[in-house]
Amino acid sequence: MLVVDVLAGGVRGGTAIMFAALGETLAERAGVVNLGTEGCMLVGALGGYAVAAETGSPWLGLLAGALAGALLGLVHAAAVLWRGADQFATGLTLMFLGLGLTSLFGAAYVGSPAPGFDPVPVPVLGDLPIVGEILFRHDPVTYLSFAVAPLLWFLLGRTRTGLLVRTAGERADVLHAHGHSPALVRAAAVVAGAGLAGLGGAQLSTAYAHAWFEGMTAGRGFIAVALVIFAAWRPLWVMAGSYLFGAALAVAPALQARGQALNQFALDALPFVITLVILAILGRRTLRAAPEELRRVFAR
Amino acid sequence: MTATLTRPAVADRTASPVRTALRTAARWIGALAGAVALFAVLLLAKGVDPVAALTGMVAQAFTGPSLEQIVIKATPLVLGAMAVVLPARAGLTNVGGEGQILIGAVAGAGVGLSVPGPAALPLMLLAGAGGGALWAGVAAAMRLVVGVNEAVTTLLLNYVALDVMLYLIYEPWKDPHGSGQPATRPLEIVQRMPLVSGTAVHMGIVVALLVAVAVWLVLRGTSFGFHLSVVGGNPEAARRAGLPVARLILAAMLLGGAFAGLAGAVHLAGVEFKLRPGLTTNIGYIAFLAAWLARHRPLPAVGAALLLAAVTVAGDSLQLDSGLPAATVNVLMGLVLLAVLGWSRHARR
Repeated sequence: MLVVDVLAGGVRGGTAIMFAALGETLAERAGVVNLGTEGCMLVGALGGYAVAAETGSPWLGLLAGALAGALLGLVHAAAVLWRGADQFATGLTLMFLGLGLTSLFGAAYVGSPAPGFDPVPVPVLGDLPIVGEILFRHDPVTYLSFAVAPLLWFLLGRTRTGLLVRTAGERADVLHAHGHSPALVRAAAVVAGAGLAGLGGAQLSTAYAHAWFEGMTAGRGFIAVALVIFAAWRPLWVMAGSYLFGAALAVAPALQARGQALNQFALDALPFVITLVILAILGRRTLRAAPEELRRVFAR
Repeated sequence: MTATLTRPAVADRTASPVRTALRTAARWIGALAGAVALFAVLLLAKGVDPVAALTGMVAQAFTGPSLEQIVIKATPLVLGAMAVVLPARAGLTNVGGEGQILIGAVAGAGVGLSVPGPAALPLMLLAGAGGGALWAGVAAAMRLVVGVNEAVTTLLLNYVALDVMLYLIYEPWKDPHGSGQPATRPLEIVQRMPLVSGTAVHMGIVVALLVAVAVWLVLRGTSFGFHLSVVGGNPEAARRAGLPVARLILAAMLLGGAFAGLAGAVHLAGVEFKLRPGLTTNIGYIAFLAAWLARHRPLPAVGAALLLAAVTVAGDSLQLDSGLPAATVNVLMGLVLLAVLGWSRHARR
C-alpha cells in the first residue's frame, strides 16, 4: 500500500534527520544555533562507516560517529562561546570543514563494504498489520531512536540539567547570578547536540544507505535546523516533523516502484519546499516560542 | 551577535596606529599560520608529505596560466561576496549565494536559449541579476512577513535552486545532441563574454570590479548606505528614527541577490557556456567565506576573493601531484576562516 510504504519510509529516512534535529534542539534551547549540523552529520556518517569497516562492529561505528560529530561541535562551541565568533558564519564554516575533511579521509571508503545494521522485525509487534510495517520492521538503531525524543523531552523539562540548559537559553544572566557559567552549559549542550547529529550521520551511512559517499547528507542537516524552528523547540514535535520529512523523501521511490514516472528533481526539492512553506505558515507563531537568548541571535 | 554599531576598542584608542596595525598584522599572520599548520598535520595523517604538497600548491598558483585562472575563478567570487557584504551592512546573513548564483545562471541560460545573436548577452546578465534578486526576495519576504531568519531560508532555497536547475537540464532544456552528462545547448559564440584583449580572461572581471567599487561607494558615501548601517547596527533605533526598516532590508536583500544572480550569469557566459550538474562548485559558499574574511568590507572582499580563488587553483596541484580529492582544499579554506573568525577579535563585525 502506497501510504504504508511512504510512512514506513518516513520512519526509515527520517531517523537521521531526527537525531540531528534533536541535537539542534538541545543546542538551541541553550541559546546557540549550530548551522554546522550538516558538517557534524557528514563527519558522523564517515566516522561511523569507517570505524564499522575497520573494526567490523557497526555499534562501535555508531559510537565513533557520535564522537566525530561532538568533536566538530566542540570547534563550534570554542569559536562561538570562547572566541566570540559569529554563530552563523562559524556554523557554515563547519559545514565546509565537514565537506573537506570527509572528502579527504573518505575517498578510501567509497564503494567499499562495511558491516551495517539490517532490519530486524520485532517479534509479534512486527507482524501487526500497518503499524507493524510502519514502525517495527526496521534496524536496531531506528528502534533506539524511538526513545531519544521522549528522553530529551524528559531531560529538558523534568531534570535539573534541563533546567540549567533552558535557563542558559532563556535568561543567561540569571544562570550567571546563581554561580553557574552560561558558556559552560551552552558548550555542553552544543557538543552533546553535535554528537546526536553525528549519530544521525552514522545511522545514515551504516543503517539507511549502507554506503559512504561524498556529501551524502545532501542538506539533511539544514532541514534539521529548520525543523527545530517549526517544531517550536519541542522534542516530540521534532520527532513528528522528522518523520514528515522522511515521508517526503520516501514519496519518490515509492511512486517509482509503482511505475509512476515523476521528475526526480521536483520530488527532491519537495522536503525543502515543504519546510519553507511550513515555516511561512507557522513562522510568527512558533518564533514566539523561541528561547529568549536565541531570539537575540535570530533577530539581530 | 550583539548589535552595536561600532565596537569601541579601548586598548586601540590609546595605542599608536602603527602598533595597532602591527598587532593586527601579527594576529592575522598567526591565525593563517595556525590554519596552514593544522592543514599540514591533516595531510601528514593522510600520508602525504605536507611540505611537498604546500610548496606544490604555491608553485601551481604562480604559473602564468594559473594567474589567468585565478582571475577567472575570482570573478563570480567577487560578485558573490558583494551579495553577502551589502546585506550584512543591514545586519542580514545571506547564505543563499549558491542558490542565487544557480538561479542567475538558469535565467541567463533561458535568455541565451531563446534570444539568438549578440543582443542576448546584456539581456542574459540582466535576467541573471533579476533571477538572483527574485530568489533572495523569497527569503526577504519570509523575514519581513513571517519573521523567519534569512540564514535558514536562504540555505534551504539553495537546495531548491539546485533542483530547479537539474530539473531543467534533465528534461525541458536538455540538449538532444549532447553526449555524456545532461546539459543545455551551449551558448553561441556571440552570446559569450568577450575576452580582455591579449588574455584568456573574460570581461566578467571588469563587471565584478565595477560592482565592487559601486558597492564601496554606495556604502561609504550615500544616505542609503548609511541607513543600511543604522538598520544593521540597531533596527529598533532605526525604526524610532523613522527609517523605513522593512524597505531597507528588502532593498539590501534584493541587491545582494542581484549581485549573486549576476555572478551566475557571468559565470555561465564567461566560463561554462551551458548549464550542467556541478555548475557552481560551491562558489556561493566560498564567496560567503571571502566576505567574512574581509569582515564585510567591499574592497578587501575583492582581495579575499582573489586569495580564495588562488587557493582553489593551487588546490588543483593537491589533486594532480598528491592524488587527493578536489574538495580537500575546502579544509584549508575552512581552517583559514575559522582562524580568522576566532582569532582576529574584530572579526565579530
